[in-house]
Amino acid sequence: MAAMFEILAKAFVYGLEVYAGLGFVFALVFVWAGVQSLDSEAQGSGVGFRLLILPGVAAFWPMLLYRWKKHVTEPLVEHNPHRQLSQQ
Amino acid sequence: MSVQYAAISWNRQKKVYDITFLCLLVLYLGTFVGVGAWRNPRETAETLLIRALGTAAFLLLNVVLCIGPLARLDSRFLPLLYNRRHLGVTTFLLGVAHGGFALFQFHALGNVNPLVSLLISNPRYGSVADFPFQALGFFALIILFLMAATSHDFWLRNLSAPVWKRLHMMVYIAYGLLVMHITLGALQSEPSPILSGSLMLAVATVVSLHLAATFREKRIDCAKRKALDDGFVEICAIDRIPEKCATIVSLAGERVAVFRYDGKVSAISNVCQHQNGPLGEGRVIDGCVTCPWHGYQYRPESGAAPPPFKEKIPTFRVKVVGQAVLVHPLPNAPGTYVEPAALEPGKEHT
Ligand code: FES
Repeated sequence: MAAMFEILAKAFVYGLEVYAGLGFVFALVFVWAGVQSLDSEAQGSGVGFRLLILPGVAAFWPMLLYRWKKHVTEPLVEHNPHRQLSQQ
Repeated sequence: MSVQYAAISWNRQKKVYDITFLCLLVLYLGTFVGVGAWRNPRETAETLLIRALGTAAFLLLNVVLCIGPLARLDSRFLPLLYNRRHLGVTTFLLGVAHGGFALFQFHALGNVNPLVSLLISNPRYGSVADFPFQALGFFALIILFLMAATSHDFWLRNLSAPVWKRLHMMVYIAYGLLVMHITLGALQSEPSPILSGSLMLAVATVVSLHLAATFREKRIDCAKRKALDDGFVEICAIDRIPEKCATIVSLAGERVAVFRYDGKVSAISNVCQHQNGPLGEGRVIDGCVTCPWHGYQYRPESGAAPPPFKEKIPTFRVKVVGQAVLVHPLPNAPGTYVEPAALEPGKEHT
């Protein structure tokens, strides 16, 4: 039981470290070269903004990588109840 | 309308707020370490610092959690709400410093990965007295990290408001984990009526403020508004809406902002297209409803941003009968012009 728990704990920690490591590498590239093509408000933004979003990019890198590959150019306008009802 | 992301959008008020807050924080940490060293000369500086950082983080988290319901209960607390994210990020930084020092002091000196050591060095997960409380703090810190890392407007826009909101609701899980972290950790090793009393008081304050705000909002959101024969529903008396401001009501599953300005009344969706800011808490400036969050503007009669900007939000038909303001609950397509309801002569200004 204790050995099993140790294996799980190690898998969790090492998995987390690998995920974060990959995310960090992706984040360095993304904040430098990718963010402005995904969100027009990021165009021309400074180093401070790019550094501030870097930890989040390292955490949510699969989502951003997917959007970058799909050439998404702007976040979607959200569909709240008023917008949905007004289209009916 | 387009704004360019800035690292931190500071204005004079926010700078004063942040400087005051930082001074108070330094004062707290200094006092805690100073008084601790004076009362317990045998404690090491690291231990005192770990405790000072941990208690500061928890105290601040309580403050952060109280600001939301306070602002919903009384609009005078709104300025605290608009500056809240710096407090949230500081809570995480204090927590990470507390956790980092503790990890170094208790787990970094062996040959096991410190995080693995944190999870497995005390496997008594079934015991109350010896529960490995540090793991609870670690998981709370992961949640606080996700929140701090996504606190920039970029994330609100790119994760979308509902996902962002759900992610940030996880703060309550982090709070619960931290209450257990303290109860099973500090309170077990040093039982003190002052410490446990303070913890109970903090939790009771957070819970009761949330309950009070929830009951109040439920009253707004669930207020039964009877539709008249023509489908319009009565909102309020005209003099309840201050000039150039709005009253907010819940209609069609979302909030509607009903503005009074220049002898007219218009109703638009309360949800700003930019990042869901509460338009009804803004004002009419230069003929446009101005969002209190980042200043996006919309014409009250059409819900459209003034050219060349392209944002549009839904509008609602509105009329004034005698003293009563009535709104039709069916939203018009975003940007649809609706003739404003004119106030009777003599009622243009309060
Ligand atoms: S939410 Fe950004 S301007 Fe309204």
